Amino acid sequence: MEEEKNTQSQENESEEIRVGVYVCHCGGNISDVVDTKAVVEALKKKPNVKIAKDFVFMCSDPGQKLIIDDIIENNINRIVVSACSPTLHETTFRKALTRAGLNPYLYEHVNIREQDSWVHKGENEAATAKAIRLTAAGVEKIARQDPLEPIVVNAEGHVVVIGGGVAGMRAALALFKRGLGVTLIEKGDRLGGRALELDKVYPTEEKATDIVSQLENAVRSEKLDVRLNCEIEMIEGFVGNFDVQIRDKDSKIDKVRAGAIVLATGFDHYQPYEGEFGYGKSPVVVTLPEFNKLIADMPQSDKFTYKGKEIKNLAFIHCVGSRQVEGVHQPQADGRVNEYCSRVCCTATLHTINKTLDKFPNLNIFDLYKDIRTYGHGHEDYYEKASKRGVTFFRYTDDSIPEYAPSPNGSGATLTMKDVLTWNEEVSIPADMIVLATGMVPREISNLVGMLKLPTGTDRFLQEVHPKLRPVELANNGIMIAGTCQGPMDITESCAAAGASAAKVSILLSKKTIEMDPYVARVDEAKCDGCKLCLAECEYKGALFMAENYAHVNPALCVGCGACVAVCPPRAINIAGWTLDQFDGMIDAISMEELEPAMVPA
Amino acid sequence: MGDHNNMKILLITTMISSYPGANTVGQAHLHYSPGTYIIRVPDPVVFPESFYMRCYEKGIDGIIIMSSGSDCPYEGAYRRLSERVARVYVQMKENGIDTSRLKLTTICTVCKAAFLKEINEMQKNILQARSEKEGVAA
Ligand SMILES: Cc1cc2nc3c(=O)[nH]c(=O)nc-3n(C[C@H](O)[C@H](O)[C@H](O)COP(=O)(O)OP(=O)(O)OC[C@H]3O[C@@H](n4cnc5c(N)ncnc54)[C@H](O)[C@@H]3O)c2cc1C
Ligand code: SF4
Ligand code: SF4
Ligand code: SF4
Repeated sequence: MEEEKNTQSQENESEEIRVGVYVCHCGGNISDVVDTKAVVEALKKKPNVKIAKDFVFMCSDPGQKLIIDDIIENNINRIVVSACSPTLHETTFRKALTRAGLNPYLYEHVNIREQDSWVHKGENEAATAKAIRLTAAGVEKIARQDPLEPIVVNAEGHVVVIGGGVAGMRAALALFKRGLGVTLIEKGDRLGGRALELDKVYPTEEKATDIVSQLENAVRSEKLDVRLNCEIEMIEGFVGNFDVQIRDKDSKIDKVRAGAIVLATGFDHYQPYEGEFGYGKSPVVVTLPEFNKLIADMPQSDKFTYKGKEIKNLAFIHCVGSRQVEGVHQPQADGRVNEYCSRVCCTATLHTINKTLDKFPNLNIFDLYKDIRTYGHGHEDYYEKASKRGVTFFRYTDDSIPEYAPSPNGSGATLTMKDVLTWNEEVSIPADMIVLATGMVPREISNLVGMLKLPTGTDRFLQEVHPKLRPVELANNGIMIAGTCQGPMDITESCAAAGASAAKVSILLSKKTIEMDPYVARVDEAKCDGCKLCLAECEYKGALFMAENYAHVNPALCVGCGACVAVCPPRAINIAGWTLDQFDGMIDAISMEELEPAMVPA
Repeated sequence: MGDHNNMKILLITTMISSYPGANTVGQAHLHYSPGTYIIRVPDPVVFPESFYMRCYEKGIDGIIIMSSGSDCPYEGAYRRLSERVARVYVQMKENGIDTSRLKLTTICTVCKAAFLKEINEMQKNILQARSEKEGVAA
């Protein structure tokens, strides 16, 4: 048997490491492929393992009881469970450790289901050997684990919401109703954002101004702290304790303390470059928002007149400034094309087409699209209605983007393209007026992005931690996003996102203190020689600094990215719970040439 | 299959993207070689060059870093990671290790086909590197 190595870290040097290993059958999900008994027998022979057991369902009450009893009765002080994915039951087992009086972070969850038995069916021997190595790696990791405590910071029960569009107002109201103080900062001179530019909106056909008024009245009657004509001068601090400096239009600075920040800075319209489908050169080429404004106050009529001329043929072009292709479209200022779909413009275009026909039933309308993406509930109805009303649809591809040619007399244009709907027949569409369905681009907030080191995606919108698992949180602790600052959304979606952000913030600030996972950088001051190499790696202001000749971490500001860890020569800085020594131990277990003779089941 | 089973491929996955991605492959009960070992990290930028070199020393045949790419939620981490990988390649060359045994790629939570493709390609690379080495030795 291998000599017991001292794998303990400094903090637990005096303590004997006693690991309990539990291998789950998961009904037969695991044990039909992995020989769980063999795993147990192999692990029993591993240094530091004092107990190894298998059980039919480890997550069941009797399964958890096995662990709790062994902690209490057999002084087991580190636990490894080999079972399903940690995303399912890591928390379940950590809670079991807490119930048994053991630090919940002295737990390692090994995945031998999704990443072993379910993907290696028919290769039972190899899957078993893999399970042994993975479980051994879990033992190596947990044997080097110190108890950890969650990071606790005070939580200010106040939130600053930046941006007073529908998303910002919706978030502010929801936060206020949950008992939090709210300051809503809007740089414009009124609340409402881009919704103020809209007339009746899909899918409810309410007037956008009515929606804005409803929200604004609620905000005003709740007496929220609303600051119009104001912008952010500076934000310092960290989750629970942000110091926000607000600059008003007279450049006066006011300070507000906030436990969290919600960003709802919204979107801008894509601005076509001069000459894009004739835009800027011909007066009859306009964008969809411009066209919406134009027709909003026009009375119903047999004729549609624009700039003194009757418009008989009106053409709409989809995807202008969105779904661009490198090498085909002109890049944006940063050299990248807008590859994303702006999502709202298909429905918005068809909605506008129907509104236009309500007012001017005699118009010929041509709709040139790449795809019709009317994805939301009731959105497809606008397409069907437009089809029934005689709108002529043409479908183009990136190989045949409509070509714009002004009419010789300068009064209109011809659009030429290959139409997919008629088997690539080349068509020339006469247009007296052209409407470009321009998409959304993120609003210019580089000062906030730079100040707070906000993550942005390749599309330049603010980027959530994970689109499904953490859809309204940024990697920066305590900063949430709401609405179109995250990406193209309609009003319904912007409000839903705002509600989700408010819910996240109110959970975060529900108590006087905030508990955070302890997986942030930690410095072993005895090892740190003060070389400062780590400082240059950290992007998060205030997270890492030098004092008394060694590196210090502010756990509330550190996001645990690990960039600093890789450059530290003496390995003085590590992410708690994910140290390089732990990873080395895991690699040793994984790379065991043959399973060590002592570990091969008899 | 035999050849594949006697190789060890380390997949370095991110907690937020490629680790759940590997679970998606499992939930679909798709098959890949049991010689693959998945570890999860907050972000692969945590590993110094020496970590990779130690893996090869210990007998890991291939490493696939399944990062979140330019969608990484940590500021500057992906740039640092790709610069580091470039430096690891230099060290691999200096130590006579075939550079095709390390791959930096981007995998998300639903990239099932890409996940399997990366493993298959790495297996081929490892076999190729082995046969080239044997050729040289002979
Ligand atoms: C042509 C078109 C038609 C549309 N039609 C419909 C429709 O029919 N139905 C529908 O549901 N949706 C429609 N939409 C979508 C709708 O406009 C958006 O979903 C909605 O306006 C998004 O609201 P928001 O609050 O996220 O952003 P915004 O409306 O952009 O609001 C953001 C606010 O933040 C403020 N702000 C920005 N930066 C700062 C800063 N640094 N400091 C302080 N304040 C700041 C801005 O001044 C603004 O008031 C349409 C969109 C377009 C482009
Ligand atoms: S919603 Fe429609 S018009 Fe807008 S970018 Fe997407 S496909 Fe193009
Ligand atoms: S892990 Fe290191 S580099 Fe990353 S935020 Fe924390 S201190 Fe900075
Ligand atoms: S790199 Fe390491 S040794 Fe140098 S200052 Fe940072 S923590 Fe200390």
